[in-house]
Amino acid sequence: MDALIKNAKKGDHLAFAMLFKENYPFLVKYLMKITMNPDTAEELAQETMAKCVQKIHLYNGQSKFTTWLVSIATNTYIDQCRKMKREKNWQGQEEIYRKLKWHFESRNEEWNDCLEALGRLPEDVRIPIILKHYYGYSYEEIGEWMKISPGTVKSRVHNGLKSVRREMKLGEETESRYPEQKTTK
Amino acid sequence: MKKQKVVILNRRQQNKQDFDAIHELQEGLQKIDQFPVYTPNLQWFEQIVIQEQQNKKKKLIKDLSVFFIVAFIILSGMIISLYHMPAIFILVQIITTIFIVVYIGIRKIKKANHI
Repeated sequence: MDALIKNAKKGDHLAFAMLFKENYPFLVKYLMKITMNPDTAEELAQETMAKCVQKIHLYNGQSKFTTWLVSIATNTYIDQCRKMKREKNWQGQEEIYRKLKWHFESRNEEWNDCLEALGRLPEDVRIPIILKHYYGYSYEEIGEWMKISPGTVKSRVHNGLKSVRREMKLGEETESRYPEQKTTK
Repeated sequence: MKKQKVVILNRRQQNKQDFDAIHELQEGLQKIDQFPVYTPNLQWFEQIVIQEQQNKKKKLIKDLSVFFIVAFIILSGMIISLYHMPAIFILVQIITTIFIVVYIGIRKIKKANHI
Protein backbone atom coordinates (compact mmCIF):
# COMPACT_ATOMS: atom_id res chain seq x y z
CA MET A 1 0.00 0.00 0.00
CA ASP A 2 1.13 3.53 -0.75
CA ALA A 3 2.99 5.33 2.07
CA LEU A 4 0.53 8.24 1.90
CA ILE A 5 -2.43 5.91 2.37
CA LYS A 6 -0.70 4.12 5.24
CA ASN A 7 -0.05 7.44 7.01
CA ALA A 8 -3.60 8.63 6.28
CA LYS A 9 -4.94 5.46 7.88
CA LYS A 10 -2.92 6.31 10.98
CA GLY A 11 -4.74 9.67 11.13
CA ASP A 12 -2.02 11.89 9.61
CA HIS A 13 -4.02 14.82 8.25
CA LEU A 14 -1.15 16.06 6.05
CA ALA A 15 -0.98 12.67 4.31
CA PHE A 16 -4.75 12.79 3.84
CA ALA A 17 -4.53 16.32 2.40
CA MET A 18 -1.78 15.32 -0.04
CA LEU A 19 -3.73 12.25 -1.11
CA PHE A 20 -6.85 14.32 -1.74
CA LYS A 21 -4.96 17.08 -3.56
CA GLU A 22 -3.40 14.48 -5.84
CA ASN A 23 -6.76 12.86 -6.66
CA TYR A 24 -8.98 15.96 -6.62
CA PRO A 25 -9.00 16.69 -10.40
CA PHE A 26 -9.78 13.04 -11.17
CA LEU A 27 -12.59 13.01 -8.62
CA VAL A 28 -14.17 16.29 -9.79
CA LYS A 29 -13.99 15.24 -13.43
CA TYR A 30 -15.63 11.89 -12.64
CA LEU A 31 -18.38 13.65 -10.72
CA MET A 32 -18.76 16.18 -13.52
CA LYS A 33 -19.41 13.32 -15.92
CA ILE A 34 -22.06 11.64 -13.81
CA THR A 35 -23.76 14.82 -12.52
CA MET A 36 -23.20 16.87 -15.70
CA ASN A 37 -22.92 19.91 -13.49
CA PRO A 38 -19.54 21.43 -12.44
CA ASP A 39 -20.94 23.08 -9.27
CA THR A 40 -22.63 19.91 -8.05
CA ALA A 41 -19.44 18.00 -8.87
CA GLU A 42 -17.33 20.27 -6.62
CA GLU A 43 -19.87 20.05 -3.79
CA LEU A 44 -20.00 16.27 -4.04
CA ALA A 45 -16.20 16.05 -4.20
CA GLN A 46 -16.03 17.75 -0.79
CA GLU A 47 -18.67 15.41 0.58
CA THR A 48 -16.82 12.40 -0.86
CA MET A 49 -13.57 13.48 0.79
CA ALA A 50 -15.36 13.87 4.12
CA LYS A 51 -16.74 10.34 3.77
CA CYS A 52 -13.27 9.04 2.91
CA VAL A 53 -11.91 10.44 6.17
CA GLN A 54 -14.71 8.64 8.03
CA LYS A 55 -14.26 5.33 6.19
CA ILE A 56 -10.52 5.13 5.56
CA HIS A 57 -10.27 2.16 7.95
CA LEU A 58 -12.44 0.20 5.48
CA TYR A 59 -9.99 0.68 2.60
CA ASN A 60 -7.99 -2.55 2.33
CA GLY A 61 -5.71 -1.67 -0.59
CA GLN A 62 -7.02 -4.49 -2.79
CA SER A 63 -8.25 -1.99 -5.38
CA LYS A 64 -6.69 1.29 -6.49
CA PHE A 65 -7.36 4.32 -4.29
CA THR A 66 -9.07 6.03 -7.26
CA THR A 67 -11.41 3.05 -7.63
CA TRP A 68 -12.32 3.36 -3.96
CA LEU A 69 -12.93 7.09 -4.44
CA VAL A 70 -15.16 6.39 -7.45
CA SER A 71 -17.24 3.93 -5.42
CA ILE A 72 -17.75 6.44 -2.58
CA ALA A 73 -18.46 9.31 -4.98
CA THR A 74 -21.02 7.19 -6.86
CA ASN A 75 -22.84 6.31 -3.65
CA THR A 76 -22.74 9.92 -2.47
CA TYR A 77 -24.36 11.10 -5.71
CA ILE A 78 -27.01 8.35 -5.65
CA ASP A 79 -27.84 9.26 -2.01
CA GLN A 80 -28.12 12.92 -2.95
CA CYS A 81 -30.48 12.13 -5.84
CA ARG A 82 -32.65 9.96 -3.56
CA LYS A 83 -32.76 12.72 -0.95
CA MET A 84 -33.72 15.32 -3.52
CA LYS A 85 -36.44 13.07 -4.94
CA ARG A 86 -37.77 12.46 -1.41
CA GLU A 87 -37.82 16.17 -0.67
CA LYS A 88 -39.47 16.77 -4.06
CA ASN A 89 -36.58 19.05 -4.93
CA TRP A 90 -35.87 17.10 -8.11
CA GLN A 91 -35.54 19.23 -11.22
CA GLY A 92 -35.83 16.33 -13.62
CA GLN A 93 -33.44 15.22 -16.31
CA GLU A 94 -34.13 18.01 -18.77
CA GLU A 95 -32.06 20.74 -17.18
CA ILE A 96 -29.04 19.05 -15.69
CA TYR A 97 -26.65 19.31 -18.62
CA ARG A 98 -27.44 22.98 -19.35
CA LYS A 99 -24.87 24.33 -16.93
CA LEU A 100 -22.18 22.10 -18.40
CA LYS A 101 -23.19 23.18 -21.89
CA TRP A 102 -22.98 26.81 -20.80
CA HIS A 103 -19.48 26.20 -19.37
CA PHE A 104 -18.42 24.63 -22.65
CA GLU A 105 -19.81 27.53 -24.67
CA SER A 106 -18.28 30.15 -22.38
CA ARG A 107 -14.87 28.58 -23.02
CA ASN A 108 -15.52 28.37 -26.78
CA GLU A 109 -15.34 24.59 -26.57
CA GLU A 110 -17.36 22.55 -29.01
CA TRP A 111 -20.38 20.94 -27.34
CA ASN A 112 -20.92 17.26 -28.04
CA ASP A 113 -24.52 16.16 -28.74
CA CYS A 114 -23.71 12.86 -27.15
CA LEU A 115 -23.30 14.57 -23.78
CA GLU A 116 -26.77 16.00 -24.20
CA ALA A 117 -28.15 12.53 -24.91
CA LEU A 118 -26.31 11.22 -21.86
CA GLY A 119 -27.65 14.07 -19.74
CA ARG A 120 -31.21 13.17 -20.68
CA LEU A 121 -30.82 9.69 -19.22
CA PRO A 122 -31.80 9.03 -15.60
CA GLU A 123 -28.81 8.92 -13.26
CA ASP A 124 -29.21 5.18 -12.54
CA VAL A 125 -28.63 4.52 -16.26
CA ARG A 126 -26.07 7.25 -16.93
CA ILE A 127 -23.73 6.13 -14.13
CA PRO A 128 -23.33 2.48 -15.27
CA ILE A 129 -22.77 3.57 -18.88
CA ILE A 130 -19.97 5.95 -17.86
CA LEU A 131 -18.41 3.46 -15.45
CA LYS A 132 -18.53 0.61 -17.96
CA HIS A 133 -17.67 2.28 -21.25
CA TYR A 134 -15.45 5.15 -20.16
CA TYR A 135 -13.68 3.87 -17.04
CA GLY A 136 -13.83 0.19 -17.99
CA TYR A 137 -15.13 -1.20 -14.69
CA SER A 138 -16.80 -4.61 -14.72
CA TYR A 139 -20.55 -5.17 -14.37
CA GLU A 140 -19.84 -6.91 -11.04
CA GLU A 141 -17.94 -3.93 -9.62
CA ILE A 142 -20.60 -1.44 -10.77
CA GLY A 143 -23.35 -3.66 -9.38
CA GLU A 144 -21.58 -3.87 -6.03
CA TRP A 145 -21.26 -0.07 -5.79
CA MET A 146 -24.81 0.62 -6.91
CA LYS A 147 -26.22 -2.24 -4.82
CA ILE A 148 -27.85 -3.94 -7.82
CA SER A 149 -27.15 -7.24 -9.57
CA PRO A 150 -24.61 -7.39 -12.45
CA GLY A 151 -27.49 -8.48 -14.74
CA THR A 152 -29.41 -5.30 -13.90
CA VAL A 153 -26.30 -3.22 -14.64
CA LYS A 154 -25.92 -4.96 -17.99
CA SER A 155 -29.53 -4.34 -18.99
CA ARG A 156 -29.35 -0.69 -17.87
CA VAL A 157 -26.21 -0.17 -19.96
CA HIS A 158 -27.80 -1.90 -22.94
CA ASN A 159 -31.05 0.08 -22.74
CA GLY A 160 -29.17 3.30 -22.03
CA LEU A 161 -27.05 2.87 -25.14
CA LYS A 162 -30.21 2.21 -27.11
CA SER A 163 -31.65 5.52 -25.88
CA VAL A 164 -28.42 7.37 -26.73
CA ARG A 165 -28.47 5.85 -30.22
CA ARG A 166 -32.10 6.87 -30.66
CA GLU A 167 -31.38 10.42 -29.46
CA MET A 168 -28.43 10.75 -31.80
CA LYS A 169 -30.24 8.92 -34.62
CA LEU A 170 -27.20 6.65 -34.89
CA GLY A 171 -29.36 3.63 -35.72
CA GLU A 172 -30.87 5.25 -38.79
CA GLU A 173 -27.44 6.14 -40.08
CA THR A 174 -26.12 2.64 -39.63
CA GLU A 175 -29.26 1.02 -40.96
CA SER A 176 -28.90 3.00 -44.16
CA ARG A 177 -25.34 1.68 -44.44
CA TYR A 178 -26.67 -1.90 -44.34
CA PRO A 179 -29.70 -1.87 -46.65
CA GLU A 180 -29.41 -5.55 -47.57
CA GLN A 181 -29.86 -6.55 -43.93
CA LYS A 182 -33.17 -4.77 -43.77
CA THR A 183 -34.47 -6.74 -46.72
CA THR A 184 -33.58 -10.04 -45.11
CA LYS A 185 -35.88 -9.23 -42.15
CA MET B 1 -30.66 -21.59 -41.44
CA LYS B 2 -32.05 -18.35 -42.95
CA LYS B 3 -33.39 -17.34 -39.54
CA GLN B 4 -29.95 -17.90 -37.99
CA LYS B 5 -28.33 -15.75 -40.66
CA VAL B 6 -30.81 -12.94 -40.01
CA VAL B 7 -30.14 -13.14 -36.26
CA ILE B 8 -26.36 -12.99 -36.82
CA LEU B 9 -26.72 -10.03 -39.21
CA ASN B 10 -29.02 -8.22 -36.78
CA ARG B 11 -26.60 -8.82 -33.94
CA ARG B 12 -23.69 -7.57 -36.05
CA GLN B 13 -25.68 -4.46 -36.96
CA GLN B 14 -26.63 -3.92 -33.31
CA ASN B 15 -22.98 -4.29 -32.24
CA LYS B 16 -21.88 -1.80 -34.88
CA GLN B 17 -24.49 0.70 -33.70
CA ASP B 18 -23.47 0.18 -30.07
CA PHE B 19 -19.83 0.59 -31.01
CA ASP B 20 -20.58 3.89 -32.78
CA ALA B 21 -22.58 5.16 -29.80
CA ILE B 22 -19.83 4.14 -27.34
CA HIS B 23 -17.21 5.84 -29.51
CA GLU B 24 -19.25 9.08 -29.61
CA LEU B 25 -19.80 8.87 -25.85
CA GLN B 26 -16.10 8.42 -25.19
CA GLU B 27 -15.26 11.41 -27.37
CA GLY B 28 -17.78 13.56 -25.52
CA LEU B 29 -16.61 12.45 -22.09
CA GLN B 30 -12.99 13.02 -23.06
CA LYS B 31 -13.88 16.68 -23.58
CA ILE B 32 -14.96 16.85 -19.93
CA ASP B 33 -11.59 15.38 -18.98
CA GLN B 34 -9.90 18.23 -20.83
CA PHE B 35 -11.95 20.72 -18.85
CA PRO B 36 -9.64 22.70 -16.51
CA VAL B 37 -10.37 22.01 -12.84
CA TYR B 38 -9.15 24.43 -10.19
CA THR B 39 -7.38 22.50 -7.42
CA PRO B 40 -7.33 24.37 -4.09
CA ASN B 41 -4.12 24.57 -2.05
CA LEU B 42 -2.96 21.96 0.47
CA GLN B 43 -4.20 23.99 3.48
CA TRP B 44 -7.77 23.81 2.18
CA PHE B 45 -7.59 20.01 2.03
CA GLU B 46 -5.96 19.87 5.46
CA GLN B 47 -8.76 21.98 6.90
CA ILE B 48 -11.39 19.59 5.49
CA VAL B 49 -9.55 16.61 6.98
CA ILE B 50 -9.09 18.23 10.42
CA GLN B 51 -12.75 19.31 10.48
CA GLU B 52 -13.91 15.82 9.55
CA GLN B 53 -11.62 14.13 12.08
CA GLN B 54 -13.05 16.40 14.80
CA ASN B 55 -16.60 15.57 13.66
CA LYS B 56 -15.72 11.86 13.77
CA LYS B 57 -14.40 12.20 17.34
CA LYS B 58 -17.48 14.15 18.45
CA LYS B 59 -19.79 11.55 16.89
CA LEU B 60 -17.92 8.71 18.60
CA ILE B 61 -18.17 10.41 22.01
CA LYS B 62 -21.90 11.10 21.45
CA ASP B 63 -22.61 7.50 20.35
CA LEU B 64 -20.66 6.03 23.27
CA SER B 65 -22.43 8.32 25.76
CA VAL B 66 -25.86 7.33 24.41
CA PHE B 67 -24.84 3.66 24.51
CA PHE B 68 -23.65 3.80 28.14
CA ILE B 69 -26.69 5.80 29.33
CA VAL B 70 -29.14 3.37 27.66
CA ALA B 71 -27.16 0.37 28.95
CA PHE B 72 -27.16 1.83 32.48
CA ILE B 73 -30.94 2.45 32.40
CA ILE B 74 -31.68 -1.07 31.09
CA LEU B 75 -29.33 -2.79 33.56
CA SER B 76 -30.66 -0.77 36.51
CA GLY B 77 -34.23 -1.68 35.53
CA MET B 78 -33.29 -5.35 35.24
CA ILE B 79 -31.49 -5.46 38.59
CA ILE B 80 -34.35 -3.63 40.36
CA SER B 81 -36.94 -5.95 38.85
CA LEU B 82 -34.84 -9.05 39.68
CA TYR B 83 -34.66 -8.20 43.40
CA HIS B 84 -38.05 -6.54 43.93
CA MET B 85 -40.37 -7.99 41.26
CA PRO B 86 -38.98 -11.36 40.05
CA ALA B 87 -42.23 -12.14 38.17
CA ILE B 88 -41.83 -9.07 35.99
CA PHE B 89 -38.16 -9.93 35.45
CA ILE B 90 -39.08 -13.40 34.17
CA LEU B 91 -41.90 -11.96 32.03
CA VAL B 92 -39.51 -9.46 30.43
CA GLN B 93 -37.02 -12.26 29.72
CA ILE B 94 -39.72 -14.39 28.04
CA ILE B 95 -41.10 -11.46 26.00
CA THR B 96 -37.59 -10.47 24.87
CA THR B 97 -36.76 -14.03 23.79
CA ILE B 98 -40.04 -14.36 21.84
CA PHE B 99 -39.50 -10.96 20.22
CA ILE B 100 -35.97 -11.87 19.07
CA VAL B 101 -37.09 -15.24 17.65
CA VAL B 102 -40.09 -13.66 15.81
CA TYR B 103 -37.94 -10.79 14.50
CA ILE B 104 -35.24 -13.12 13.13
CA GLY B 105 -37.93 -15.39 11.62
CA ILE B 106 -39.66 -12.50 9.84
CA ARG B 107 -36.36 -11.17 8.49
CA LYS B 108 -35.39 -14.61 7.17
CA ILE B 109 -38.81 -15.05 5.48
CA LYS B 110 -38.54 -11.58 3.91
CA LYS B 111 -35.03 -12.36 2.66
CA ALA B 112 -36.16 -15.69 1.20
CA ASN B 113 -39.12 -14.01 -0.56
CA HIS B 114 -36.83 -11.28 -1.90
CA ILE B 115 -34.47 -13.84 -3.47
